[in-house]
Amino acid sequence: MSEQPIDTVLVSILGRALRAITDEMSICMERSSRSPILCEARDFVTGLYDAEGRMLEQTENLPILSFSLSPVCQHIARKFAGEVYPGDVFFHNDVFSFGNQNNDLAAFKPIFLGETLLGWAACKGHQADIGGAVRGGYNPGAKEVWQEAIRIPAVKVYERGKLRRDVWDLIFANIRLPIVQEDMRAEIGSCTVGDRRLRALVEKHGLERFEAHKRALFDSTRRLMEAEIRTIPSGTYRGESTVYYDGHHPGSKHKIRVTITVDGGHVRFDYAGTDPQTEGFVNGTYASTASATILTFLQMVNPAIPHNHGMVEPIEIVIPEGTLLNAAYPAATTFGNHLCPPNADAIIRALAPVIPTRVTAGWNQLLCSLSTGRDTRKDDTYVDILFMGLKGGSGAAADCDGYDHIGMIDASGGVLDQDYEMFEQMTPHRIVSHEYLVDSAGAGKHRGGLGVETRYVVGGAGDTQLVTFGDGDVEPAFGLFGGGQGTLNFIELRTPDGRISRTTTKDHIRDVPAGTLYVQQAGGGGGYGPPQERPAETVAREVRDGIVSVEAARGQYRVALDPVTIAVDGPQTARLRGGES
Amino acid sequence: MTTRTTGRTYKLGIDVGGTFTDLFLWTSGGEVRSFKALSTPRDPSVGVLDGIALIARALSLTPAELARCITTIVHGTTVTTNATLTRRGARTGLLTTRGVRDALEMRRGIREDQYDNHLRNVEPLVPRYLRRPVAGRLDWRGEELEGLDLAGVEEAVTLFREEGVTAVAICFMNAFANPVHERAAAEVVRRALPSAFVSVSSEVLPAIRFYNRVSTTALDAFVGPVLRDYLRALTSRLAEAGFSGSLLIMQSSGGVALPDATARRPAGTLLSGPAAAPRAAAAYAGEAGFADCLVVDMGGTSFDASLVRDGQVELKPEGDIARLRIALPMLDIVTIGAGGGSIGRVDSGGLLRMGPESAGADPGPACYGRGGPLPTCTDANVVLGYLDPTYFAGGEMRLHPDRARAMIAEHVGGPLGLDVERAAVGMYRVINANMAHGVREITVKRGVDPREFPMVVAGGAGALHGCAIASELDIPVVLVPPVASVLCAAGMLLTDQQHDFVRSCVTRLSDLPAERLEALVREMADQGETQLRRADVPADRIEHCVLLDLRYVKQYHEVTVPVAREAVRAGNYAQMLSAFHREHDRLYGYELSAEGTGVELINVRVRSVGRTDKPALPKIAAGPPDPGGALKRHRRAFVPERDRFEELPVYDGHRLQAGNAIAGPALIERTDTTILVSADYAAHIDGFGTCVVRRKAS
Repeated sequence: MSEQPIDTVLVSILGRALRAITDEMSICMERSSRSPILCEARDFVTGLYDAEGRMLEQTENLPILSFSLSPVCQHIARKFAGEVYPGDVFFHNDVFSFGNQNNDLAAFKPIFLGETLLGWAACKGHQADIGGAVRGGYNPGAKEVWQEAIRIPAVKVYERGKLRRDVWDLIFANIRLPIVQEDMRAEIGSCTVGDRRLRALVEKHGLERFEAHKRALFDSTRRLMEAEIRTIPSGTYRGESTVYYDGHHPGSKHKIRVTITVDGGHVRFDYAGTDPQTEGFVNGTYASTASATILTFLQMVNPAIPHNHGMVEPIEIVIPEGTLLNAAYPAATTFGNHLCPPNADAIIRALAPVIPTRVTAGWNQLLCSLSTGRDTRKDDTYVDILFMGLKGGSGAAADCDGYDHIGMIDASGGVLDQDYEMFEQMTPHRIVSHEYLVDSAGAGKHRGGLGVETRYVVGGAGDTQLVTFGDGDVEPAFGLFGGGQGTLNFIELRTPDGRISRTTTKDHIRDVPAGTLYVQQAGGGGGYGPPQERPAETVAREVRDGIVSVEAARGQYRVALDPVTIAVDGPQTARLRGGES
Repeated sequence: MTTRTTGRTYKLGIDVGGTFTDLFLWTSGGEVRSFKALSTPRDPSVGVLDGIALIARALSLTPAELARCITTIVHGTTVTTNATLTRRGARTGLLTTRGVRDALEMRRGIREDQYDNHLRNVEPLVPRYLRRPVAGRLDWRGEELEGLDLAGVEEAVTLFREEGVTAVAICFMNAFANPVHERAAAEVVRRALPSAFVSVSSEVLPAIRFYNRVSTTALDAFVGPVLRDYLRALTSRLAEAGFSGSLLIMQSSGGVALPDATARRPAGTLLSGPAAAPRAAAAYAGEAGFADCLVVDMGGTSFDASLVRDGQVELKPEGDIARLRIALPMLDIVTIGAGGGSIGRVDSGGLLRMGPESAGADPGPACYGRGGPLPTCTDANVVLGYLDPTYFAGGEMRLHPDRARAMIAEHVGGPLGLDVERAAVGMYRVINANMAHGVREITVKRGVDPREFPMVVAGGAGALHGCAIASELDIPVVLVPPVASVLCAAGMLLTDQQHDFVRSCVTRLSDLPAERLEALVREMADQGETQLRRADVPADRIEHCVLLDLRYVKQYHEVTVPVAREAVRAGNYAQMLSAFHREHDRLYGYELSAEGTGVELINVRVRSVGRTDKPALPKIAAGPPDPGGALKRHRRAFVPERDRFEELPVYDGHRLQAGNAIAGPALIERTDTTILVSADYAAHIDGFGTCVVRRKAS
């Protein structure tokens, strides 16, 4: 191959142009899919890969899904070597061949320039149903993968542009909701747009020039990442965290242990010492754990780093098989994505003493619910994940408060609330309230992000099913350097006959009567620094706004306020705060 | 007195920027002239009237004589934009459905950069204690589940009065389907707080999606009083001056509307500042042979960049201002804080920064000699020899190079250990890099290669930086139109009157009786017709474009598809559907006509356009290639490519003729702008007076 001169301007234009393509693919998916999980909450990712399956760029609305696409793409390229043609489309969800979660069903489309395989476009979203024993895919009772989902281990659904009807029908005969077919068509459409755009880009610059500049982009990104890692003192750091309740043994606890070794421009995350896999679905896959590790670490480095192969090269991840974070075949693993929050806790605890200004305090752990049933108004079925209810607060940082109502760390504000009016159109439920939760934020010089309380009246015909999955009802988000902790999560059902019951964090409730009031609290994030150092006027403003109580102002922040005017009582505050030192 | 003005009428475009008020005058004889007056931020209408006085003087008329002969004024204002960016809008209260008062602040829980743990949420326009929940509820179809708690509304209004609230936004759940509760609440507010500005979501944006509506309505209220007061001051000052023609106000969508319509929907002006420039840029680029172009407009305070394709800037159905959602149609224009007034300083890390803070018009750059205590981009341009202190604004304003040098030495040179000239070079380079970044935002970031487009450079300060931005981005051609310094003001006279309407109508398209669709369209078109006729647009100049927001059954988002007015009248659904399938495939990579998937209608939109008279671009006289006749003198100025000062020829831009060719490095001076033709570039003047600057063949 002739030596291509590198035009550094073109390298940066290419990097941006690739991102523009994956962004456009993401818009295609957001705007043309059907399930609110995809089009309202954006629980999907889009990406471009080179011919060998290496990451070119991604749009990571939900980062936990992101970092398994490249390994799966490499798997498909190997498995179908010599049998990949223009117009092909592949589906894949299998967690034992690099998938992260059964419900996250991906479409891959090879991109050709003439006869040359140029790369791949991929789109992967959380589907409303994936077969298995329970509608919607979350089966807290599952002990094996087949009780959770249909396994799709890289199959070709289109060959040379022609639909393989038999394969398509086999897949969708095993998935309950017709909407999933439509949403997979949207994934394919998104890949088609990626295909059109990448081909146009490469045609403009020529294949050789594109390839040379792609390598230059990988190299410069790798150097950037290495430089970021070098800013962390070399050494070995350990952290741990606890996962509560495996869905089968009330009160069970499971430890995550991580050893982080920084050596110059290289970082290694080793999960040796993590507890064994559980009997139920509270298990990670290699892909879900590796994604969790990368996304947590990315929040501690320059956020402007391009997301391509070069970015992940300096990061090594070791996850022993048979552990909670990398369960062995044929374990149930649907909960695996939701081990990201406790995994992040372990990583943050390990690195907080070394890079205190780059970490946050603990984030609210995810607690989520999914409702399915018949919408009698339209005589149709629906599946909805209550994203607006699950979004608690983030941990505070050295220089700012936590982010209110941002949601779990594995999405970090990329996943959105359903719009209230769309929610009432698309489900039979009716919103009663969705507001910030008073005193939910961990106190601190910088307070944690606020949690929320969500209430809705269950509609439908009495056949509503609720599935809950998550954590955070035992251990709240932790504070750092003197900051206080956030509040706990819970979900409560108040049925029309007056009974009030709390769900567990891995639950399956059938036949919820219409008229039941659903109440959920997502807690706040942890605080950073001593609460007494928070300016009294800031505390007073938050009391006036009704997100901090007069009692908490006094008890936690040691600020005395006039209960009527909410004005700061200066002398008394000074006494309260002075008494502390 | 009338004898002096007999026969002549004028049209005037007026663009109020942060620093200058630009005026563009079109006479009925076909001549054009541009003027600049200093802006008066405390009451921008003062600057407008100063500008009119300035024009009158230049035409040897009294302001009243001039005002009487002006038939049309098109006016662009950034008072709402500035009020939002600086948070100096009205003290605003929000009345909303009990249980959802935090939606405004939550913004659906988005953090725009997932990996940036130091990114904070936006301060809400309405603090939580002024977001008052009211009982009362409509269901998903707009049917009442619980009556509106009028006593609760009264209570909230009492609090608003005590708290000095001057604007009230009202947004209730499902009001897109039924405005009855919002109307009842508005009535109470209007009665109890008669002076308050009231924005009602079902009037501002009668479309589904609560967050879009509450955010847009809150913005509308927040800027409402500011715009209302401003337009009142302006119309009364113009009337006092003797003006009795029609006044039209620029909208974010690129159209114009009457002042009363504008004051009723103030949010429609939030992004209107730069909206007229692309129109004029496209006209001049078109004459120079380019269908597409980049447009960059560098004023005193801000730098706007947009991309014109096929003569149009893309219209977005919604967008954001300072991360706040505004769901009204707007042109796709990127704005960054960089301009002639951008302040240079050295940060704590020892890095030189330019802007986004601006010295504005008052005190302005140090060289204005009004006590400006900090060095700006304009000051650097004086030190670099680009601006002639005796010829700024055609000599209207004398610059003080000593003040520029002193401030640069003190605030930039000293801290960096550089002499004044090297410090000025640094300031020039940094601001050029900032502006190149702004151009990347609308090109590279969207996967468009800026090297494929000519760049139209506008704004008083732009032409000194055009070559530098172009070389940074490898842009081959830079165009400086004769109206460059007042491009927005000129574009305003090339703009149509435009009113946008929307109605939600959620139904399977095939189930919708054709008469019902026609009735909805007619209702909006009639409204548009009335507004346009009130603005004296003749019937044969009015056009109503129909757009349908369509989607496949169970999709959440719609594709906006233009359909022929005839197809609506004839109930030709087949034609509408095939347009939808085509557009869906173009946008999203697939369509489902073969599957027979049903198609739903969500919103019906009508855009009523009143075509205005657009004056032709005037031609200039032709001359020889040699520009010698226009040479004024030589001046010592900085040549970026050679990194040194040289004696550059300075040409009088007003004496250049079509066909003149000028090899860089050279300066071309006009009363309103100075062009630097840098060493790697060569310029020629085209038939319309546009200075076409191309990179020299290497």
